[in-house]
Amino acid sequence: MKYILMMNTMKAGHGVPDWPKKDLQAHIAFMMSLNKELHERGELVSGEGLSFPDQAKLVRADKNGRPITDGIFPESKEFLAGFWIIDVDNPERAYDIAARISAAPGPGGAALNMPIELRPIMSTPPQEMV
Amino acid sequence: MKYILLMSGTKAGVEAYHAWSKEDIEAHMGVLRRISQDLTESGEFVATQGLAEPKEAKVVRGEKNGVPVTDGIFPESKEFLLGYWIVDVPNAERAYAIAGRISAVSANMPIEVRRFAAHEAKSG
Repeated sequence: MKYILMMNTMKAGHGVPDWPKKDLQAHIAFMMSLNKELHERGELVSGEGLSFPDQAKLVRADKNGRPITDGIFPESKEFLAGFWIIDVDNPERAYDIAARISAAPGPGGAALNMPIELRPIMSTPPQEMV
Repeated sequence: MKYILLMSGTKAGVEAYHAWSKEDIEAHMGVLRRISQDLTESGEFVATQGLAEPKEAKVVRGEKNGVPVTDGIFPESKEFLLGYWIVDVPNAERAYAIAGRISAVSANMPIEVRRFAAHEAKSG
């Protein structure tokens, strides 16, 4: 079963978090070690980190199909910071992995306990869409 | 440069889409397939994925001892990711043009465009 785990923790306009360098490094080292472990277990399909929200754009097509870009977002908007696609045997395993990501170290090495949104990937589009 | 194009919507928006006529949904899906095909032919296609419905979403937090706590209650206003496209293009303008094409065929929905961080996790 494929799931996507989403870290929706970023706020509009924000760039690199204002953490001490060693705390940022510990956070990244934790993520790299987790990715390596998931890869070795054959559970990691893909994982990516996104650039910070201060570089995000919203694009709409105008009447002629040309892109209109906008970089203004409501303060309350949650931005995707990164995601993992995993292939696991059951939902419980997906919840366990999400909980580990949730507890990634933050400033001072304390667990962030951030919420991780978890969604099944559509294996095939719903019947009415094909 | 790799970009991700994110299509998001609320639960109400997803319900409105399900109320489209079968022909309209077929035409919409047909153009999306065509866009993926064009991107494959131009060598810009990396990945695309549709997600299951927002009603299947859970939010998970780790407890102090690392035990997962799941919750499925979200505010009505929450925007859920519906699907995404990852493209590898020479510049941001090309990513915006692709997003514009997707927007044009999807009721002019806004498509969020984000560049990948320089330090990407390696694909499995």
